[in-house]
Amino acid sequence: MATALNALFEILSFTSIMVLIVLGLGIIASMMGIFNFAHGEFVLLGAYFTWLGHAHGAPVWLAMALAPFAVGLIGFVLERLVIRRFYDRPVMAMLGTYALAVVIRETVRGLIGGLYLNVPAPLVGSLSLGGLEFAQWRLAIIAITLLVILCSWTLLAMTSFGLRVRASLENPALARASGISTKAIYAITFTFGAALAGLAGALVVPIFSLFADLGLRFLIQGFLGVMLGGVGSFVGPILGAGVVGSASAALPWVISPVVADVLVFVAAIGVMKLLPNGILAGRRV
Amino acid sequence: MLNGGRTGPAPLTAGAPTAPALRRRLPLVEWAVFGTFAVLPFLLADFLTVFASRLMILALLAISFDLVYGFAGIMSFGQALFFGAAGYSVALLARDLGVSSVLVVMPAALGVGLVLSWLVSSFLLLGRHPPSVTFVALGTLTAAFAAEELARSWYYLGGQNGIPGVPPLTLGHFEFSDLAFYYLVFGLFATVYLLCRALVRSQFGLALAGIRDQEQRLGFFGYRIDTFKTIVFTIAGAIAGLAGGLYAYHEGFVWPSMMGVVLSTQIVLYCLFGGVGTLIGAVLGVIAIESATYALSEQLPTIWPVVLGVILLVVILFRPTGLIGLVVSERERTGDFGRPGSVAPRGASSDAA
Repeated sequence: MATALNALFEILSFTSIMVLIVLGLGIIASMMGIFNFAHGEFVLLGAYFTWLGHAHGAPVWLAMALAPFAVGLIGFVLERLVIRRFYDRPVMAMLGTYALAVVIRETVRGLIGGLYLNVPAPLVGSLSLGGLEFAQWRLAIIAITLLVILCSWTLLAMTSFGLRVRASLENPALARASGISTKAIYAITFTFGAALAGLAGALVVPIFSLFADLGLRFLIQGFLGVMLGGVGSFVGPILGAGVVGSASAALPWVISPVVADVLVFVAAIGVMKLLPNGILAGRRV
Repeated sequence: MLNGGRTGPAPLTAGAPTAPALRRRLPLVEWAVFGTFAVLPFLLADFLTVFASRLMILALLAISFDLVYGFAGIMSFGQALFFGAAGYSVALLARDLGVSSVLVVMPAALGVGLVLSWLVSSFLLLGRHPPSVTFVALGTLTAAFAAEELARSWYYLGGQNGIPGVPPLTLGHFEFSDLAFYYLVFGLFATVYLLCRALVRSQFGLALAGIRDQEQRLGFFGYRIDTFKTIVFTIAGAIAGLAGGLYAYHEGFVWPSMMGVVLSTQIVLYCLFGGVGTLIGAVLGVIAIESATYALSEQLPTIWPVVLGVILLVVILFRPTGLIGLVVSERERTGDFGRPGSVAPRGASSDAA
């Protein structure tokens, strides 16, 4: 029983990370119609800035709090310089963002070398609850993820800015005709998505440690999450990320991790084949 | 897709006579490349000959990608999967069965690539719902990633270290030395290139180009788009397999990254750099990038990958036709189809319409 609960907790914390990553990926895919191959590298950058801040003597929590802003800024610059040329050209976007990802990844590799660098978690130790031990940092990750989801949802659903974002998503031409600058909305969305990936990177670095290929595996799982949930809604990608994240965190408890990974990938592709518009197809959320 | 709306359907047929002098550059490039490769071993030091055979093997892989993307518009991020799987298969043949005869190994590699790519493409491309570009791209990417993970941890396949000690290729009692191997690779490379060239210049190639540029319209004409795509994907997979078999014998061992995402995307970037949709562009891309990497990666081990990434980004952004676009005109790059001369232009256009 205790093991099962602990397993559940581990699964939940990994799923939270996936959701954070997919939130940014999904919103960019929904709005601009591009799959951002550099998203995994934004996660890497978030981890890198956290490590950098920590190495220069800043407290870890401060480094973590600043990392998303730094990544967001980089995301903004890249959007203005590069990404905006790829809107509505999905294939070129994949290739271009992949080249971008290579540049970022190799730069970070050059900066840190082929090393695995550790950053301590700002919260160490664990919380005892009814005889069960919960690592505090993982609890914090779950809490932060829930908070981010809540904030993004409120922003999208409750504010006038959110209305403009949804308008540009549903019908860009009409949105432009109504005086909304879709260009500005796209830039802000991309920045926000990059910052979310940066946050995810900052949060995972104590668990996974920092290495140059950190982004790649998250990228593929993130893509699967987005496709599985369906492009074009807020809840879809989150749900998809939930399914992919929890499946790939849960299965290793039953079968060998590698088989589990492969199984999750194959199953996800299989579901996508049957439901090309995602598991939420037809239901707008 | 690349030539899409911007050029329109006009260049697909040869049409009215144009200045013939302008239309002969592509064959010149092809002759130059193959002529150089034919005499290269006499001009270079031994170790550079080995490097040149590596170039040709990677060029085969690049051609296989160019066939699916440049001619049929299928975005495949998984070409290395067929390459690596065939490499592993021939390594296993050598290790477990002691077979290293070229007469068995090469057909086996070709077959593994063929069957595997047929399975992958019939899953991804056939079916009730026409697949989206992103679905195919992600499907192939995921397949390559999963295969690499699997190879990395499967003890039978040597895990992380792969399978070392692939013996030299043989033919009866004859063992292929570096030079003989070079000419074996050259022969296969030239043969495959000529076959592909014939394929993409045929009526089948015309249908493929139509699918690439105007998929929906071809669908309305009654072409079975999915079948065409599956066929070309399978052919490309077989070529990638052949290259993988050669590569295993070239390197003398196989390892997990051979079928991974990184190699797959590297191939994509070779093609983009050289220029897609011309076959020879892909070859030029491999030669240019690999030679530059060979020359520069020792002096600039950390900077070079970054520079390479930046160059590719610039090419993708500002020079979508790649290197070959510098040499040949847009019209020649797009090519013509069918038999040249009396029948081709009219026959080609009436077949498509």
